[in-house]
Amino acid sequence: MAETARIEIRGGDDWVPRNRMDSFIAAIELIAAFFVGLVAADTFVSVLLRYFFSFSIPDAYDFGRLLLGILIFWGIAATSYRGAHITVDLLWANVGPRYQRWLDIFATLVLLFVVATQTYTLVDKVIGTYNDNVLTFDLRLPTWPFFAMAWAGDVSAVLLIAIRTYRLIFNPMAMARDQQEIKPVE
Amino acid sequence: MSTDAVAIIGFVSLFVLMLLRVPVGMAMGLVGVTGFGYIVGGTPALKMVGQTSMRTVTDFNFAVVPMFLLMGAFATTSGMSRELFRAGNAFMGHLRGGLGIATIAACGGFAAICGSSVATAATFSKVAYPEMRRFGYPQSFSTGVIAAGGTLGIMIPPSAVFAVYGLITEQDVGKLFIAGVLPGLLAVCMYMITITIIGYSRPGFLPAGARAPWSEKLAALKDVWATMLLFIFVIGGIYGGLFTATEAAGMGAGGAFIIGIARGRLSGAGVRRSLLDATRTTAAVFTILIGAILFGYFLTVTQTPQKVTAFLTGLGLGAYGVLILIMLMYLVLGCLMDALAMIILTVPIIFPVIIALGFDPIWFGVLIVMVVELGLIHPPVGMNIFVIKSVIEDVKISTIFYGVLPFIVTDLLRLTILIMFPIIALYLPSHMK
Repeated sequence: MAETARIEIRGGDDWVPRNRMDSFIAAIELIAAFFVGLVAADTFVSVLLRYFFSFSIPDAYDFGRLLLGILIFWGIAATSYRGAHITVDLLWANVGPRYQRWLDIFATLVLLFVVATQTYTLVDKVIGTYNDNVLTFDLRLPTWPFFAMAWAGDVSAVLLIAIRTYRLIFNPMAMARDQQEIKPVE
Repeated sequence: MSTDAVAIIGFVSLFVLMLLRVPVGMAMGLVGVTGFGYIVGGTPALKMVGQTSMRTVTDFNFAVVPMFLLMGAFATTSGMSRELFRAGNAFMGHLRGGLGIATIAACGGFAAICGSSVATAATFSKVAYPEMRRFGYPQSFSTGVIAAGGTLGIMIPPSAVFAVYGLITEQDVGKLFIAGVLPGLLAVCMYMITITIIGYSRPGFLPAGARAPWSEKLAALKDVWATMLLFIFVIGGIYGGLFTATEAAGMGAGGAFIIGIARGRLSGAGVRRSLLDATRTTAAVFTILIGAILFGYFLTVTQTPQKVTAFLTGLGLGAYGVLILIMLMYLVLGCLMDALAMIILTVPIIFPVIIALGFDPIWFGVLIVMVVELGLIHPPVGMNIFVIKSVIEDVKISTIFYGVLPFIVTDLLRLTILIMFPIIALYLPSHMK
């Protein structure tokens, strides 16, 4: 599909965490990546079992969609930190490094505001799911822990964007290393 | 303030924010929620953010995106592209421009298991470019072929762009994938004919290679079984009604993983890298999807799609006149914007127009992907061009654009053919189970 672009991060495959912050960011990405694998495995196994053994994994559908939610919010956290969102670079590409940095700072501040607002509004959704005791279809498991875990991903996104903003303003050299060179989409 | 004025201010703000490099999805979300809040009220607007975000990311139909991305990532990491190029070269390398034709054939094959144009272009910049240069092909032609071949990634299924179009217009993603098969094959044929014409019209420009013996041809063919198996399994499963598109994506990812492991091509590090690649792209796509859905509420309360539909259908241009106008708009937008952003931003407004004009939404999806393909290779922001430049550092951007020009002409011709003969896109979907 569209796009799995081979994403080149400065430093490419040799990118290794240098300090605690790098390890933290790498861990967040790995959590999201783990859930991508889990969603695919859940779908693959449930289709195989259905065709070959006429057996359905209980709550395979619910698990799949709830894990998808978790992976997206944790993935957005890492993507936001690395500045790998889809952007229009028309102006940015045609100005000098000084103005590029200001544009990056402005864009990141807007990003911080939007994601912080989203995180605040998602609390209602998590609490609502808890209060309404929403359960999965087959096993009747509560769904609020999944929503809470997805929300935790959004909280980490706010934290990482705040760190990105700080680094862009006060330590731009540290930030340059973690930028994505290629937009991964299409 | 009237809703029309709010809509205009909203669109102007959106473009200013995007120009200031605010991520497209975030800009759409911010403008959408602010505009909605102005008209309907702040509390419902904020409530909408939480509800919409969570509903979008927990919609299992949307899982088609990360799983097909994962399948493509496994295929890329397993090095299937190299085998495809070797097979293409064994059969067609002895023709004038044969290495270019082989590159197109291999790009088409790779597109059948990887839905990313950017990934296809990046991969073949490493695999095919050195070979073409070794045989004395000019730099402009070599990079131009790869840029054009890369665009096949989003037309030949599976394709992320088709999936996103299907999700935002609520069309059957499986049907869209199948609709892309014949136009994709048409693209492969037309690119090959273009290369042949160039090769024969300029003797010595694209030298022929040595003819491979049959033993080598058969050996090369034997290596591409994995690609063929995966494609038949996934697309055949959708066409035959065995899987939904989402299930097919899961089966494709699982199949690519098992094939990679069984052939010893996927190491632990390779699996990790594939998962990370798929995650990063998924996050970027979903950010824009959430933003688009929030922006959609703003469009609804301002009744923008209805007003645009009334305006365009009232122009008196006729259905095809309006369609051509829309295609021209996309070609111009392709000069300014990222392809996926362009689709997500414009389709909610344009789609009602297409329905009102009586056009088939699946066919329009194919046309949209065609113009997006063109946007990937035409100046000034052809994404494939920049990807090739990032891999092949000693080539100038202008050289790649020069090399891709004949293929842009071919694409415009193909777009005309697809507009004139919708059956090319609609024949296979009409026979699906």
